[in-house]
Amino acid sequence: MADLELRNISKSYGATKVLHDINLKIDDGEFIVFVGPSGCGKSTLLRLIAGLDEITDGDLLIGGERSNKLSPKQRNIAMVFQSYALYPQMTVAENMGFSLSLERRPKAEIRQKVDEAAATLKLEALLDRKPGQLSGGQRQRVAIGRAIVRNPRVFLLDEPLSNLDAALRTETRVEIGELHQRLKTTMIYVTHDQVEAMTMADRIVILNAGRIEQVGTPMELYNTPATEFVASFIGSPKMNLITGKAAQEYDAATIGIRPEHLDIVTESPHWQGLITLVERLGHNTIVYAQVPDVGPVTISLEGQHEYQVGQNVGLDADLSKIHRFARDGRPLV
Amino acid sequence: MASRLIVFGILALIAFLMTAPSAMTLFTSLKPPEELILPAWTPPASITFEHFERVWTDGGFRRYFLNTILISAVDAIVMIGLASMTAYAMVFMSFRGKLALQVLFVVGLMIPVTAIILPLYTTIRSVGLINTHLGVIFADLALAMPVFVFMFSSYFVSIPRALHEAARIDGATEFQIYRRVVMPVSVPAIITTGLLEFMWSWNDLLLRLLLLPREGMRTLSVGLLNFQGQQTRDIAGISAGTVIMAIPVVLLFLFFQRHFVRGMTAGAVK
Ligand SMILES: Nc1ncnc2c1ncn2[C@@H]1O[C@H](COP(=O)(O)OP(=O)(O)O)[C@@H](O)[C@H]1O
Ligand SMILES: [Mg+2]
Repeated sequence: MADLELRNISKSYGATKVLHDINLKIDDGEFIVFVGPSGCGKSTLLRLIAGLDEITDGDLLIGGERSNKLSPKQRNIAMVFQSYALYPQMTVAENMGFSLSLERRPKAEIRQKVDEAAATLKLEALLDRKPGQLSGGQRQRVAIGRAIVRNPRVFLLDEPLSNLDAALRTETRVEIGELHQRLKTTMIYVTHDQVEAMTMADRIVILNAGRIEQVGTPMELYNTPATEFVASFIGSPKMNLITGKAAQEYDAATIGIRPEHLDIVTESPHWQGLITLVERLGHNTIVYAQVPDVGPVTISLEGQHEYQVGQNVGLDADLSKIHRFARDGRPLV
Repeated sequence: MASRLIVFGILALIAFLMTAPSAMTLFTSLKPPEELILPAWTPPASITFEHFERVWTDGGFRRYFLNTILISAVDAIVMIGLASMTAYAMVFMSFRGKLALQVLFVVGLMIPVTAIILPLYTTIRSVGLINTHLGVIFADLALAMPVFVFMFSSYFVSIPRALHEAARIDGATEFQIYRRVVMPVSVPAIITTGLLEFMWSWNDLLLRLLLLPREGMRTLSVGLLNFQGQQTRDIAGISAGTVIMAIPVVLLFLFFQRHFVRGMTAGAVK
């Protein structure tokens, strides 16, 4: 187990800089999620930490030790790849025990550690199969198993759930969370899915175009986004971002109102809107409406409601929850 | 229906034309002397192995066969190791001079043997390897290496990079990755390389004629040519020698046929 520190890390491929001045401290045992849109540099950052790519500039400290030049093995980190990257010609047991067999550990010890990990991940029945004979979810478990067998200082996971179907994704998400509770090893988890980030992370690092936008607990990011980008990225459905006259009313270039902070009212409404779509999810109802001079807005209502498309409704916002942003995307306070 | 018949007819004709010489050679090699006056396309009425015995012992084909199989087997095995390791470095590692090396291999791919045969001969002679198996083996490997490096490279690039990276994370050295991750998934490329190099080496005449002129060192190709020159009337003996030379290659090809085709097309379709 170890803490990590990234100091002014940047990465260039040839002339293109894909990561700019990344500064980050990760505590021992923390579950950190890197989240951001596709192509923002999440995987690159993870690969720098893993030692698969060379750091162009800056320092990486693992357990207080500068590790820029250490090989992946010397860093003693484990990684789960998006494609799982299981060795196709080896059985599940051989895949999981590969790193130990490279260290020439005794067969009995390897067997025991593989069995332990297999029990944790409910893989006992599959140990003699080849990866080609497994389902996507099972392969994913084997990939995690291969990582935990080594008892590494840090786990790196690059979008480990993106190849699973939705139901399995939710299930595995919970299992990874429980695994972290049990192992208490530092985990860095990469995803483009903000729901995964919000549900799993101790702290989230939001990346955009190779820069850190904000670092914080899920609730910090939700309640006090440091930029307009964070505000729009965190939360589902997305925050309503309104510009123009409606924003000027509040002395801001842009105002942001989360759908759950808008309400449909009959008395003294702030805006009038025309409903364009209603999504009924049972535990909540999402209403899409068109407001003159404001544009399209999304309203998330708790419970079940009988609003109809084409209906004109009054809208009101919880004023204490409005986010105001300057022209540069910074929040106004 | 009629058009299918025509196609069938054409294919059958081509198949016949292509197999006829082999069949006639085989027939001739098995015929007892009294049947040899019959036309070549008549199958032997009774079978004899006397021609095979004759060329094998008196004709020296036993020696030729051993020479050939030694050179071809060493060629094939060493080529698999050499070409795959070179390709591994080219695909998975970064090092200074990689581009220059790639250019050299492409150049090597384009130069025909005949164009450099003389300098090759003088080089081999200057290091004293004329009439040694080693000299031919060196020449074979050097000349064919670009082709197989290219083949292994195109196979290796179809291996997901993440596999290589996962092995690095697992703590494998480059050689361990090569040996335990990359090579086990490259069986089709290995078989294709081994087979092709074996066949080329087996059938090559030019280099062997030049580098192994001494009687005791001859390979089947040189031996057969020589035999033809000296025993122009011994059609049955020449046929038997030809069959001896053809059998191993045919057997190998039949045995590995499916792998062979897969190796040739791998990377192209994946
Ligand atoms: N090997 C590479 N060479 C050049 N550019 C790369 C390389 N790897 C990644 N990039 C670029 O770096 C940026 C970040 O990529 P990546 O870290 O994979 O994004 P993410 O994982 O967030 O989707 C992308 O614009 C990508 O095109
Ligand atoms: Mg990625």
